[in-house]
Amino acid sequence: MSTPKHLLELTDVAKHFGGLYALSGLSFHVDPGEIVSVIGPNGAGKSTMFNVVTGLYGPDDGSIRFRGANVVGLAPNQVTKLGIARTFQTVHLFPNMTILENAMVGQHCRTRSGVFGSVFRLPGTRREEQRIRERARESLGFFGSRLAGYREEQPASALSYANRRRLEMARALATDPLLVMLDEPTAGMNPRETLELRDHIVRMRDELGLTVLVIEHDMRVVKGVSDRVIALDYGRKIAEGSYDEVANDPQVIEAYLGTKAAG
Amino acid sequence: MGGVPTRSIVRAGLIGGAIAVFVALVGLYTKFADLALVGEQITLGRLLIIAPALVAAYAVTRPRIVAGERRSVPFGPGVVVGVMTGLVGGALFAAAVAFADWFGVDRIREVFVAVTEQLIAFLTFDKGVPGGLPELIGFCVVGGAIGGFARTAPEAVRRPASAGVLAVILFGLLQRIIPIVFVQLGFEADWLYDRGAGLTWFGGLIVFVVAAAANALWNRDGGRTRERVRRNVEQAPAAKVGLFVAILAILTIVPLLLGTVISEVLGSVMIYVLLGLGLNIVVGYAGLLDLGYVAFFAFGAYTTGLLTGAFLNTTTGAATPALSADLNFYVAVWIVALLAAGVGLLIGAPVLRLRGDYLAIVTLGLGEIVSVMTASKWAQPLIGGPQGMRGVTKAEVFGLNFQDNPQHFYYLALAFVLLAAFVSWRLSTSRIGRAWNAMREDEQVADAMGVSTTKFKLLAFALGGAIGSMGGALFAVSIGSLTPASFEITVSITALAVVIIGGLGSIPGVLVGALVLIGLPGLLREFEEYRPLIYGGALVAIMILRPQGLIPNVRRSRELEEEEVSQDVWARDAKGEAEAVAAVLPGGSLGVEREDLE
Repeated sequence: MSTPKHLLELTDVAKHFGGLYALSGLSFHVDPGEIVSVIGPNGAGKSTMFNVVTGLYGPDDGSIRFRGANVVGLAPNQVTKLGIARTFQTVHLFPNMTILENAMVGQHCRTRSGVFGSVFRLPGTRREEQRIRERARESLGFFGSRLAGYREEQPASALSYANRRRLEMARALATDPLLVMLDEPTAGMNPRETLELRDHIVRMRDELGLTVLVIEHDMRVVKGVSDRVIALDYGRKIAEGSYDEVANDPQVIEAYLGTKAAG
Repeated sequence: MGGVPTRSIVRAGLIGGAIAVFVALVGLYTKFADLALVGEQITLGRLLIIAPALVAAYAVTRPRIVAGERRSVPFGPGVVVGVMTGLVGGALFAAAVAFADWFGVDRIREVFVAVTEQLIAFLTFDKGVPGGLPELIGFCVVGGAIGGFARTAPEAVRRPASAGVLAVILFGLLQRIIPIVFVQLGFEADWLYDRGAGLTWFGGLIVFVVAAAANALWNRDGGRTRERVRRNVEQAPAAKVGLFVAILAILTIVPLLLGTVISEVLGSVMIYVLLGLGLNIVVGYAGLLDLGYVAFFAFGAYTTGLLTGAFLNTTTGAATPALSADLNFYVAVWIVALLAAGVGLLIGAPVLRLRGDYLAIVTLGLGEIVSVMTASKWAQPLIGGPQGMRGVTKAEVFGLNFQDNPQHFYYLALAFVLLAAFVSWRLSTSRIGRAWNAMREDEQVADAMGVSTTKFKLLAFALGGAIGSMGGALFAVSIGSLTPASFEITVSITALAVVIIGGLGSIPGVLVGALVLIGLPGLLREFEEYRPLIYGGALVAIMILRPQGLIPNVRRSRELEEEEVSQDVWARDAKGEAEAVAAVLPGGSLGVEREDLE
């Protein structure tokens, strides 16, 4: 197989819940090194799209390819292993595990110690555990000192809201992904934290060399980070292009504000 | 009264009275009327008269949340509330006794066999109805007062006092065991125990004072000492090793000191520790509620029998099982464990998609299938059906006899327990333990973060099964003959109770849980027929007073606390006090946000 052009490619993806079409005929692609934003009003199918891509739901129709390989039908952990990491719209940490442990779970799919190695603490296992720890610290370190130091040993439930969001991203980074999918990373953050996060998203690409697909409602963030913007409504793509193109698209304005405003 | 509504007092009193009537109907009073604990006056029966009122008063004087604020009942009014509770309960109890006397004891006995003239005589202190009734009510009032005292007295008084009383009761109950221990250790026990009449007054006083003083010291310095030990253990590996060696030394020396009777009890404690350790992997680490754990116990026991050349009981004598081998126990037990891991996979595979209640029900069913199969005609040619099998190996090695000598068996069981505990501990602190942890906290998210939930659920079932089957293997060796009666659902329930009472996910907790649930009833043979009642009571008490278990796993107790916090938040939210929530939980609570993944 020739090297695929696109990192992630969705073709005619459909997903319905009973009579509700959460996604229908959705096609788009993400190229390596891009930051692509997905926008759309509530209920447009953005999170459903995330869940379908990451294997939480199976699509009813269409194909999803990551680096040219089909991911439809894979379990979420297999998708993660291929190199797609995600965060959730509402924070989902392991609240009673420490911050470091949360990030260490991210490394799970990159490591392989089994029962035997763990029980006897074989040298290989010890080295691996050490590597897991270092890699987890590294991804916590992406957010500066906010998740580092004494905080490492605190339970995740002790963190402030913004730090929980950061930890969720650090945990995603710890899975050594190629593509990071962020579901409304700035939801509930104050303006200063939002700005900081905007920089973090850009740094994920520039410093870590990752590709980012982000669902975002805050248009300043969308404008600030996006190479490309995709607008969804009623499970379909209604516009795609640069921020300015999409922001001025009559269909997008209609979707957000209603027909009168668009007229 | 002291912030306690009159309605609550009356209700608690009536419940207390009803409990007392229940205790009378199941025959606890008649059975324990003459079991003296201290001197000849304080008998267990009399203690049981005051106990219901005591518990009711203790419950009703609990701190209440009034308008979002936690208010304790003050000391004085607390005792008064207790007295009133006891009065109400005593009145109900006395009324019931009077009714029984009027209605005719013989007519009631047709249904409740424990209701006898002796019962009435005991409850009226041999004065009859109505002469003894005031005294009965008086006892209940005293019970209520003690209950109120135990809850509301200043901490510095009530804690040592409670500890002292509990110690006296425990020493009184163990009156047949402790003197033996004293003699084994080469001490006199006559000053402490009056033969056949519990503790002497002097002995009771000494026990009370020692326990109360120890408790008072612990209250003053315990936290600091524990902190110091913890820090030392964390910082110096040598201290860790030392602590471990100390525990090991105690475990090793105990049966030598305590003699065969107690060693036998300790042996069955160890079997349940093994079962608890195995079940702890499934329930405590991986969070999969398995109610059919007896399946592994039975599998381990019968397979050990088959592999070590046991034969089947038949009406005509003995027969060789359809499948049989004659292996050395120390070879067979590993094969058993390996096969049991396979059975774990078989049981785990069909239930992979099930969670929580559904998983519990299905495993309950699977356990029951195994349990029924042990008694079935169908499996008779293999495992003997209702008649079972006998002649399981004595696992003799170095001249030790593990079947007939309980002290020897204890060491065999201890070795397996240490092995299982070591494996559990290493796994829980490894990548695998982390994966289980993540899975238990949020299965879907763990999956999305790259943890193969299928693989790790199956691994938990397999390892839990292997350890549980070793428990079965040891059981088979210890008693030598197997019948279906030993493999009923009570095994699953007991093992689960051991894990829960000890503290889910806690290895020392399993040991303590087994000591409490298997050890104490084993030593108190008088209570044998009331075992399920005691288990039920103990579980309810633990769930109310200490839901995280006796020796909790740190992380688990966090979970429970958090649930409580989020429950409070939820309750307040319902009143529309969102600001109050924000004040309580800076940054919002994870608990309230957790809806299903969108």
